[in-house]
Amino acid sequence: MNRVKVLQVWLCCVSLWRFWVSHAVPLDCKDETGSLTHCTSISQEKLLDRVIQHAELIYRVSEESCTLFEEMFVPYPLHALRNQGGNVCHSQPFPIPSSKSEIQQISDKWLLHSVLILVQSWMEPLIYLQTTLDRYDDAPDALLNKTKWVSDKLLSLEQGVVVLIRKMLNEGILTSSSAIEQTLAPYDGQSPEVLESVLRDYNLLTCFKKDAHKMETFLKLLKCRQSSKLSCLSH
Amino acid sequence: MAYSLSLSLLYLGLLCGNGLVSARGSELFAPDPNGGPHFTGCRSREQETFRCWWSAGTFQNLTEPGALRVFYQTKHPLFSEWQECPDYTRTVENECYFNKTFTHIWTSYCVHLRSVPQNITYDVDCFTVENIVHPDPPIGLNWTLLNVSRSGLHFDILVRWAPPPSADVQMGWMSLTYQVQYRVRNASQWEMLDLESGTQQSIYALLTDKEYEVRVRCKMSAFDNFGEFSDSIIVHVAQIPSKESTFPTTLVSIFGLIGVVILLVLLIFSQQQRLMVIFLPPIPAPKIKGIDPELLKNGKLDQLNSLLSSQDMYKLDFYHEDPWVEFIQLDLDDPAEKNDGSDTQHLLGLSHSGSSRILNFKSDDDSGRASCYDPEIPDPEDMASLLPGHSGRGEQHPLVSRSSSSIPDLGVQQTSEVVETPVQIQPAVPSWVNMDFYAQVSDFTPAGGVVLSPGQLNGSPEKKKEDENEKKKIQFQLVSDGAYTSETTARQFPADVPPSPGPEQGYQSFPTLAVEGNLWNGEYLVSASDSQTPYLLPEAPPVPILPPVSDYTVVQEVDAQHSLLLNPPSSQPTVCSHSPNKHLPAMPTMPMGYLTPDLLGNLTP
Repeated sequence: MNRVKVLQVWLCCVSLWRFWVSHAVPLDCKDETGSLTHCTSISQEKLLDRVIQHAELIYRVSEESCTLFEEMFVPYPLHALRNQGGNVCHSQPFPIPSSKSEIQQISDKWLLHSVLILVQSWMEPLIYLQTTLDRYDDAPDALLNKTKWVSDKLLSLEQGVVVLIRKMLNEGILTSSSAIEQTLAPYDGQSPEVLESVLRDYNLLTCFKKDAHKMETFLKLLKCRQSSKLSCLSH
Repeated sequence: MAYSLSLSLLYLGLLCGNGLVSARGSELFAPDPNGGPHFTGCRSREQETFRCWWSAGTFQNLTEPGALRVFYQTKHPLFSEWQECPDYTRTVENECYFNKTFTHIWTSYCVHLRSVPQNITYDVDCFTVENIVHPDPPIGLNWTLLNVSRSGLHFDILVRWAPPPSADVQMGWMSLTYQVQYRVRNASQWEMLDLESGTQQSIYALLTDKEYEVRVRCKMSAFDNFGEFSDSIIVHVAQIPSKESTFPTTLVSIFGLIGVVILLVLLIFSQQQRLMVIFLPPIPAPKIKGIDPELLKNGKLDQLNSLLSSQDMYKLDFYHEDPWVEFIQLDLDDPAEKNDGSDTQHLLGLSHSGSSRILNFKSDDDSGRASCYDPEIPDPEDMASLLPGHSGRGEQHPLVSRSSSSIPDLGVQQTSEVVETPVQIQPAVPSWVNMDFYAQVSDFTPAGGVVLSPGQLNGSPEKKKEDENEKKKIQFQLVSDGAYTSETTARQFPADVPPSPGPEQGYQSFPTLAVEGNLWNGEYLVSASDSQTPYLLPEAPPVPILPPVSDYTVVQEVDAQHSLLLNPPSSQPTVCSHSPNKHLPAMPTMPMGYLTPDLLGNLTP
């Protein structure tokens, strides 16, 4: 009897300790040198707001990039492709809810994980897009700067979502982007000015814009849920 | 692989459906050149449902419902087959409605317009739902006045609205941006303002007295499709007749003016003295140098007299007034000439010299000796010649009696003179020709007679002196007092000189002439014997022994400088070393050899 009690107590202590550790220990932050230091704590709401701001910005910049590219390289009759939202975007490993009702039914965990997956899935294609756009002869500097900026912001967005997941879901997630492997179209070696490559790049930009919109929507929905659950679910 | 497949499909679609593929999914409808059935548009209002409309076109045989059907296909992983429109709207013709369950976001749709019997697809339209969203117009548009400009011509307003109720902005499903437009009522152009993500907007610089229309519309952020405009609202502000605030400005100007005036008055009062000097310079009052004007007002008479007499100006003026006074002097240094002929002789024309000169009495050249009152040393010979009773000469003064006994005579020829014998004027007509015209009154007899002093003696005085040196010496001592002698000195003479009758005396001094010292200035001859101590005037310097000189002389000429020449000018200008100031007595000056009327009054005892 005493042994059982001692064991229970020990288990409780361990679980409590784990719980306490996960909550009390501040988040691991990395400064410029890369060493782990204590972070200045930030509230969950503020973090979520910042993450949403990031997502909004990324979405806006992606839309501007798509417009720039379309004006520069895409022939006018093919502008309709834009509305089609990218016919061939790379598929996701898991189904992402597409309707509002579905999204409303998804839990917070799923939302956050979906966002994280999306962010991580786009990091490599954007780097690829940068290299591709550099090969264009008369690519405007604004376009190049925007794509580069988006790549950087995506990284910070990923970090924010990871922290958010850890805070909201109490889960530890590996931040390596190699978790999800993407199948990208191999580089054909053709000249970038060929319509095919142009269309390919255009498609890429369009898909990215769509996914950025997804991220923003998910995060906003999440925020709505954090403030008041009833109004968010009533629709 | 799939990627390249999709691209090739795209190419096919481009090549085959060149006319069919159009920019559908938005409001832009490319008109079908064939006129066949086509989609007129697909729209979503809230990103949750959407609708599609079509028209049969020119094909009249397909207008009945059910002839044309809509099929769609999504790229949704779950719904890949062709499906027919879930809901053909009953109320609206040719409308296909997709409700929430059939609407998938971020999914591309392709709708086909088909006629089933013929299995002809007339139109295809591909889109994603978020790209066809046209939000509903905002609601609750109102305005409030912010302010009116000071001139009352412009005003600012704040416009507010609410998002459309269909759009789920609260959840964050849709994030909207709005655009406000306004214009003057019934104008043609709308003024567009920048996109606003909030639900309010301020409009500046609207004109009063004008009606404005304001409206707003919205769209999804980062998307291009605007919704419909809201209903316009009318904005109007009546112009307030602003009372021109001229009142404060006039007040300020008035106060400013008053302040300036006060300042000026203070300035004038503080600098009054200086200003008075500048504007009204003082007139210099008359002033006599050396005389205190107060003394003139309040001083006593003798003080004033003393003051005035000590003034140079006064003396000079006096002297300058009577320049002729200074020049009358006796000149007795040429007895020979006198012996030749006296003045009277000359006057009478009986002189053997034949001179027609009126006055032969030689006198020194006294031009330049105007202010000097050194008495001339009279020529005793000249004097002797003047004196009557020159028996040797035979001259007789008309005024002097011939009784030579009463007349003291200088000359040796004189035998006896009696001082006390009354002078009797005996007119001797033939004899007076040889007499001088003038003779000096030397004494008064008690009977009232006048004792005249002897005239010019003949011979040189030196010789005579040598001859009678033990008896008498005629020492003519001139009172060198600037030709003046005071009354006191005159009185001294009788006191000191006892009357010594007898011929040794040249002439009788005039003891009883009390006043008489005033008569002849500078011509007082004091005869002093050897025994007598020289009774010089205490203030007078020692007088040198001078030859006898006649007591008076006659003015012969007046030269150009208004000086009276008693003798014609010979080269003997003498400069008097004395200044007239030294010898001035306290008494007022008196002319030499001239009797002024006021002085005549002094003569009478």
